[in-house]
Amino acid sequence: MYLELDKKDMDSMALIDSEGDEITYGGILNFAGKFQESVERRALMFVLSRNCVGAAVGYLGAMANRVVPLMLGAGMDRGLLETLTDIYRPSYIWKPEETVEETDDILLRGYRYALVRTGLPLYPMYEELSLLLTTSGSTGSPKLVRHSYGNLEAQARNISAFFGLDSAERPMVDLPIHYTYGLSVLNSHLYSGATVLLTGMNVLNPKYWDFLKSQRASSFTNVPYSYEILKKLRVFRMDLPHLRTFSQGGGKLNEELHREFAEYAQNTGRKFIVTYGQTEGSARMAWLPPEYALEKCGSIGKAIPNGKLYIVDESGQVIHTPDTIGEMVYEGPNVTLGYAETREDLALGDERHGVLYTGDMVKKDNDGFFYIVGRKKRFLKLWGYRVGLDECENIIKRAFDVQCACVGDDRCMQIYVNSGQDMEAIRRYIADKTGINSSAFRVHYIETLPRNEAGKILYSALEHREET
Amino acid sequence: MDNLEKYRQCFHKAFSQDVDFDLETAEMGSTPDWDSVGHMELVTEIEDTFDIMFETEDILRFTSYVKGIEILEKYGVVM
Repeated sequence: MYLELDKKDMDSMALIDSEGDEITYGGILNFAGKFQESVERRALMFVLSRNCVGAAVGYLGAMANRVVPLMLGAGMDRGLLETLTDIYRPSYIWKPEETVEETDDILLRGYRYALVRTGLPLYPMYEELSLLLTTSGSTGSPKLVRHSYGNLEAQARNISAFFGLDSAERPMVDLPIHYTYGLSVLNSHLYSGATVLLTGMNVLNPKYWDFLKSQRASSFTNVPYSYEILKKLRVFRMDLPHLRTFSQGGGKLNEELHREFAEYAQNTGRKFIVTYGQTEGSARMAWLPPEYALEKCGSIGKAIPNGKLYIVDESGQVIHTPDTIGEMVYEGPNVTLGYAETREDLALGDERHGVLYTGDMVKKDNDGFFYIVGRKKRFLKLWGYRVGLDECENIIKRAFDVQCACVGDDRCMQIYVNSGQDMEAIRRYIADKTGINSSAFRVHYIETLPRNEAGKILYSALEHREET
Repeated sequence: MDNLEKYRQCFHKAFSQDVDFDLETAEMGSTPDWDSVGHMELVTEIEDTFDIMFETEDILRFTSYVKGIEILEKYGVVM
């Protein structure tokens, strides 16, 4: 069974959320049984997720019955959701009860969620296809990552192994479970029989800390930006006796913060674990063992168990010389099947065969530890959220009569437009559409976008413009 | 510039708001850009402006324009 859920202690608590719901492992199995009576196998189901028991049991109910969930944020822009519905035509939607409409055909209710039948027919999907996640959730890009059942089993098993997880763990999960990172924390801990603490609150909410303390959370997992906030909140001075592990992923942590948290962990007998991953690799692909957290500060570590990492040059040749920059390639059982952009693509099989070109530019030191130095792919991680640059260009071009080019770094997206009008409106619009703070976007006027002879935008010519 | 004006400036700098931005009713979570990201910018801006360092609980309690004035009093900043 999925995540070997049927082999856990049935009386032990599996999920507790900050909205007051909880469920045991036995309760999850019961619920999955009810799901079985309501759904047809090999159907597509949208899960409109927030971090709560309801969303999680719907996802697990689907997985246990070989229904394929596409995980989406419950707060997602309605227009973007409609686009996805038109393209992928789900047979079911698992959604929060407050979003249920009178005309909805409800099959099942539970934990403040409802299972709605859309009436859309099933269509052929690859038999090993297990789960779909968005590549750039905030822009509502229809491009999805196709996972196999084997990917998710490997993910849960590997993460559980390198973190040394057991049933005593009580991880705090405030990372959205509709993205790969949050979902991998949920999966690996359920696989280990642990008690997962789910919340949609963030660290700036006093109730977040009440929940963390009263539930004796044992680990904290988050993105670089949250570590900046934790530092500002003087977390080093807080009394958190149960919190043993701090783990980081979701982008590169700056070296100063890395060092401060590694030192804090060392001085207080805690573990600080830096990891590296992406959706295409079913989350984690590299990790820095906590005993190296200080010595190898700034590094993402080495490949996770059962995985392999290496660096290739532009011609695809493997680079063996230390300190030489090239693209990082990962091989392992957690490499996903490929992308989908249409519903026909859901019938496709494995296109990657366990090899993933990560798009991240890295170098390796003499001891074999990897360091990220840049990125090849056209996306940014703004406040921990992956945002596709091309998708943002399309969103802007659809809404405004401009030509536009997006570049930037993980701090700020620089948007170049060929019209001086609507610049503030564009900034507001893209912040609103992506749900990201508008300070992460800057709009600049440029008379003509630099293009090559074939008419393609020369992004490199825009890259360092904002600094001059 | 008096303290109140300095305090108001902090909001404008942190949120880069348009002129019609109603400060008196500004609240975390409902005012555009006053999310966790905006909050950190605002807190940093105020700390730098008044040369103070907030306690953790005050950073968490600081959820509106009005509350901020009350909290700043504790740090000797009177408006």
